[in-house]
Amino acid sequence: MKPNWRKKILGGLSLTTALFIFQACYGTPQDMGLDILIEGQVKSGKTEQPIKGIKVSVEDKVQYQYTDESGKFSFYTESASSYKIKFEDIDSNVNGIFVEKDTVLKNIIKTIYLNIELEEK
Amino acid sequence: MFRELRKKSFQKFINTETIIHELNYLFWECTTRCNMSCLHCGSDCSKNSPFTDMPLTDFLAALDTIKARPDNFIVVITGGEPLLRNDLELCGKEIRKQGARWGVVSNGYLYDREKHISLLNSGLGALTLSLDGLEDNHNWLRNSVDSFSKVDSAITLAVSSPRINFDIVTCVNKRNMAELPAIYSYLIKKKVRAWRLFTITPKGRAENNRELILEDIQFKELLDFICQKRKEKSIDIKFSCEGYVGKYEFNVRDSLFFCRAGINIGSILVDGSISACPNIDRSFSQGNIYKDNFFEIWEEKYQLFRERSWTRTGKCKECPDYTFCHGNGLHNWEKNNENVLVCHNEKLKHVMYY
Repeated sequence: MKPNWRKKILGGLSLTTALFIFQACYGTPQDMGLDILIEGQVKSGKTEQPIKGIKVSVEDKVQYQYTDESGKFSFYTESASSYKIKFEDIDSNVNGIFVEKDTVLKNIIKTIYLNIELEEK
Repeated sequence: MFRELRKKSFQKFINTETIIHELNYLFWECTTRCNMSCLHCGSDCSKNSPFTDMPLTDFLAALDTIKARPDNFIVVITGGEPLLRNDLELCGKEIRKQGARWGVVSNGYLYDREKHISLLNSGLGALTLSLDGLEDNHNWLRNSVDSFSKVDSAITLAVSSPRINFDIVTCVNKRNMAELPAIYSYLIKKKVRAWRLFTITPKGRAENNRELILEDIQFKELLDFICQKRKEKSIDIKFSCEGYVGKYEFNVRDSLFFCRAGINIGSILVDGSISACPNIDRSFSQGNIYKDNFFEIWEEKYQLFRERSWTRTGKCKECPDYTFCHGNGLHNWEKNNENVLVCHNEKLKHVMYY
């Protein structure tokens, strides 16, 4: 009998849940959760220049991130059927003043890259 | 008879797992620096550790040698205190880029809202925080006046994010033993879903502090407490896999005792040593990433973890439970030791009729 099949049968007979999921004494639980990677870049719709300091967040989640010098952002978030991603200019007139934008994403598997343009106020 | 069948099937299962020797769980001891000075610290790490943190690129190169990773493969970042690393988020993100999941074991002191968010952003999927009592007892063991309030905040953050598979570990000692019911109530109130209880192994700073080590009768009371609370099903409470506990085996965990160190669990320690769980005696190292290919070592060495008959010595030599225990958890052995450091089953036998 091949070892992997033998493992499944014997694990089943012993009624153990440690068949595939176990935890080392001094370690964390296994991570069996699902998440997706949301990445992208935010630019000015007028100048097409990247915008630094835009707050990118997922509605109803604690997570957020600010765009870097290149206007880029990248974060993992918990898998869901849809996501409302918010782009907010919260640094007043530093780097210009831009209108807030929401983007709704559906049926994302593993990762998505977003090119976002914000309109200047 | 049914229990005997389960036990025998499980032993065959262990044998099969040992043959397959699949790496599912990789510890990375990314630092030995620590922001606490706990009374029970086994690894004796400190703020003034002689080792510098392992550069991320060195760890990633070793991780990259693992060509075939099973679906449940995880990197568990430990220390020292991993949150002392300023590049922890980058570490996590690069580990995810290599296709692996990751978790962190922390004392929670630096785990504030900003850290919680940045770690989630970096793909954190599992977290273990230490809570060793309510305020007075936790602060006493952690040797810090505000560590309880810090970990209390960290727990609130961790339970607020269902993405994280999160649990609490508690080192049970003579001081916090009586307050286990109160800790249980506290954790339920905090909406914690999983709680693992340990005893303290008499090594490191704990070796000469008898206040940290449970008497045999207290150890039995601890297991009775776990059995009772498991029936209530309010929280996923379990005894850790630190040792074999004889007749309690069916009632204190989801599965029977199986020390997977070096069978499914590997580690890369701060100096590059290749080993199993980080709390195992450092003399058991199998190689070093700075001169060896990590995965070749995993595939070709680790014999003393996979073939444990060398532990059949001292009090294990004639023990009738050896077939099920295999010398207890390997952290209970030192290379030149003639005897197992702690026999959990023996502690029970001292106070129970078998």
